[in-house]
This record gives sequence, C-alpha cells and structure tokens, in this order.
Amino acid sequence: MEYIIHLAILVGIYLILAQSFNLTIGLGRMFNLAHVASYALGAYVTALASTELEMGFGRCLISSALVSGLFAILLGGIALRLAGDYFAIGTLAFASIVSALLINWKSVTKGVLGIPGIPRPEIGGVALYDNLQFGYVVGVLVIVSLTVLYFVFSSPFGRVLRGQAEDQLAMMALGRDVRLINTLGFFIASAFAGVAGALFAYYINYIDPSSFSFSEMVFLVTIVVVGSPGSFWGCVVATFFLVLLPEPLRFVDLPSSILGPMRQLLHSIVLLSVVWFNRAKLFPAQREV
Amino acid sequence: MLEVSDLHLKIGDALILNGVSFSAQAGDSIGIIGPNGSGKTTLFNCLSGFVLPFQGSVSLRGENITHTPPYLRAELGVGRVFQSFGIFREMTVLENLVVALESRAGVLRTFFPWSTTSRMIRAQAKEFAAQVKLDGKLSQRAGMLSGGQMRLLEIVRALAFGAEVFLLDEPTAGVSPKMKDEVAALISHVQTLGKTTLIIEHDINFVQSFSKRVLVLDQGRVILDDSPENVRKNDLLREIYFGK
Repeated sequence: MEYIIHLAILVGIYLILAQSFNLTIGLGRMFNLAHVASYALGAYVTALASTELEMGFGRCLISSALVSGLFAILLGGIALRLAGDYFAIGTLAFASIVSALLINWKSVTKGVLGIPGIPRPEIGGVALYDNLQFGYVVGVLVIVSLTVLYFVFSSPFGRVLRGQAEDQLAMMALGRDVRLINTLGFFIASAFAGVAGALFAYYINYIDPSSFSFSEMVFLVTIVVVGSPGSFWGCVVATFFLVLLPEPLRFVDLPSSILGPMRQLLHSIVLLSVVWFNRAKLFPAQREV
Repeated sequence: MLEVSDLHLKIGDALILNGVSFSAQAGDSIGIIGPNGSGKTTLFNCLSGFVLPFQGSVSLRGENITHTPPYLRAELGVGRVFQSFGIFREMTVLENLVVALESRAGVLRTFFPWSTTSRMIRAQAKEFAAQVKLDGKLSQRAGMLSGGQMRLLEIVRALAFGAEVFLLDEPTAGVSPKMKDEVAALISHVQTLGKTTLIIEHDINFVQSFSKRVLVLDQGRVILDDSPENVRKNDLLREIYFGK
C-alpha cells in the first residue's frame, strides 16, 4: 500500500510539472529547456523557507510559485528576444546558471550536500507525516492545478498561445502582443513548476542539485512528446505511462548498476520511437514574411 | 487616412525601399504592381510594422506610427493578408474567426468562455463564416481548406477583426481560377464597406478591376502613380517588365 501511495504522489507531482511544461513547449511551441530550473527554484524556496524561516505550507507554496514565476519573467524577457534554436540555447543557458548557483552558492543552498530535514507541512495543526494524508493534499493540489491549466489551455489566452506558435506574424496582425502573451505563458507554466517543486521538497524531505539534472528535463520532454505536444489529456496519460513504465523493473532480480540506466534507456527508446513516427508533425517550420 | 513619406529601408546592405511616398484617403483602393524584388512586400511589411525604416515616416489618421509595434498598428486598424496564407492551419475555421473577434473585444471581456461576450463572439464568427460560405466547415481544420477558401477566411478574418486599412499581398496567389472570382467578390464587398484597400498583384487586369489608382514600384521607388488606364499606356511599365 505504501508503495502505491508513493507512486500516486510521484505521478501527482509529475502531472503538475509536465502539464505546465506542456503549456509552453506543447501549446506555445517554445522550447524552454529551463523548466526544470523553475522546478528546482520552487523546491529550494520551500526547503529554505520551511527549514530556515519556519514558514507554513501555504506561504511556502505561494513563495515557490512566485519565485519560479519571476524567474520565468526574467528568462522570458531575455530568451524571448531570441528566435528558433537560439531561444532553446538561451533557456539552456539559464538552466545552467541555476544549476551552477545550486551547486556553488553553498552558504544558501549547501551545495552538493543539499538541504536535509525539510519538515512535512502542517495543515490545521496536523503534521502530514503519514504519506496517505500527504497524498490527499497532493491530490487536491493536482486537481486544482490541472483545472486551472485546463482552463488556460482552452481559454482565449490558450488560443493565442496556440496561434502564435503557428504564425507569430499573423497573430501580431490580429492585434496581439506576442511577446507579452509568451512571457505570461512562461510565468504561469513556471509558477506551477514551482508548486511541483515545493511538493517534491516536502515529500522527499531532502533536496540536492542532482534531483534537478538535465536528465529530468529530458524526461519532461519525453512525457510531452509521447502525449502529443499541446494535448492536455495526452500529457496526462503520458505522465501516468512514463512515470510508471520503469516500475516493474524493481521486481526484476538485477543489480542496481544495471537497473538505473535501464530506466533511462526505456524512456529514451519510447522518446526515439515517438519522434521517429511523428517527426514531421512535432515541430513544423515557421513561415517567414 | 494613410500617409507614407520618403520611406527608406535597408536589409543588410541592400536598399530595398528608396524614398517611397504616397497617401491614401479613407475608402481608396490602390493597386501596387512592380517586378519581383521591387519592394512591394517589404513596403507592406513596413506599413504593418514588421520591419522599420531608417528614414521616412508612416502616419495613420494623422498619427505617426512609424515606430509603432505591429500589434498596436493592427489595433489602430491596419489589417494584413499575407502572400503565403496567414491563417492558423491547426485551428478550426471557427477558431480562426473567434481569435480575431476575441482580440478585438479584449482579454477581460472574453476571459470566461461562458460570458455573454464570448457567446456573442461565437455567433458573430458563424455569421462571418457564412459570408464566405464556410459555415458548413466551422469545425474543420483550416489547413484542410483549399487555397481559395483559406484566402477567403483570411480576408474575412481581417474584416471580423475590424481592420480599416487592408494590406492585401497577392490575394489571388495559390487560388484556383474559379475561387479567384469569389476572392474578387469579397474584396469588392470590403471596398463597399468603405475600407481602404492596398492590393499587391501581378495581374494588372485584376488590379484594374478594383483600383482607381495604381502605384508602380521599381527598385524601391514609386515610378508611376496614376489611374490603371494611364499606367497601362505608359511605356515605363513595359520597360521595367521587359527592358528597353
């Protein structure tokens, strides 16, 4: 039972993280490689706020969302001035800066040693040490987050984000400030990544930079690509599928030195297969004036 | 309505617009012709705000919009129909129209899909689709339409958005001869609504049927600005197309 609750919490956190990533990369076709950096910032803000400042659950969650969101505004303000592949490289540079800060700003982040002893949140005076109780809170936050994101996907704002992905010039010719829309999309996606990061920090009780490596970014890309970029329900199904896919390997009698790489190998095979069969559809060329 | 004065624009080292000047009154219909590379589309890009001139100015209703961003020009009434179809192919026909009407209505009024404004917008979008006989294809992906239908959708979308000045860049490019008549009928309809139309076309007969005035561009300059009849008779036109 404890194992199933663990998986449910993990799927929940990834649902928020992947769906928010889907908003930018899937709907807006902005190849943002700094989404995991937003996730990491959310996790570190909650870790520091709950251990150093003894802030409550709600405040930690909001602080994580805001800091990650503000990071996205800074990122968007600079990277959105770059076009095409350069945009992706620009976001990768931001991700590298965050990663370097997490490792080297030891006085705050404690470097590679990470931040241990993150307390489970208290709600109504009850500390959620029990995974089932914490799972309920994650469940509620997943429902709220996915409802908001679904609303964003199907709103006029979502339509503009989808339209500019296809043709920025045509969208500007319809009176839309494309850069503002994209920055707002970045902010929303990043804020939810921050929420996912906060939940992750609370759940694992310990965070270090290795939890937010580039392979985590590749995993998110795999989820969105497998679920079909921009598809809300596709992303939900792909999150369940890909988070749970390597789990049967736990029950195979193999040394951990082989099991670890096999999980990544499985994800890579799935990603390669989907990209191969959908290569023309995934990232069509933008029209020029 | 629209005042273009001494526009100079460079792309790299190449001087693409070399002192273009003209004006258009409200309701005017102006044809723009010229050989390939004469600067026609660049002129439209300059009027739309996608590229900025290093010299000269563009004014709309007396307001200098030379450095106004494209989306604000659109809000002021500059509508654009692109040579290579500016429709959103992955959206449905209805969504293509809704997105234009929502843009006009503003974010706050259309924030909730169940609001009265949002419901009105959907009804209006269906009316605009009916104008171009696309009401039977509302839920079809726009990318599945024929070239002519895409062009009709793009023009009627600019109309739905509320454009006052229509910049039509080769509206019959990629359109079958049969659909060309329907595109022509829609442009005529736009003109009867009192909108200002600037049409880039290679087909001088097509230009003549819509425009009371024709600008001939060559090497980034307006070399003729006259009635279609006079332009046709002018030897300069033959010279720039066929040489001396």
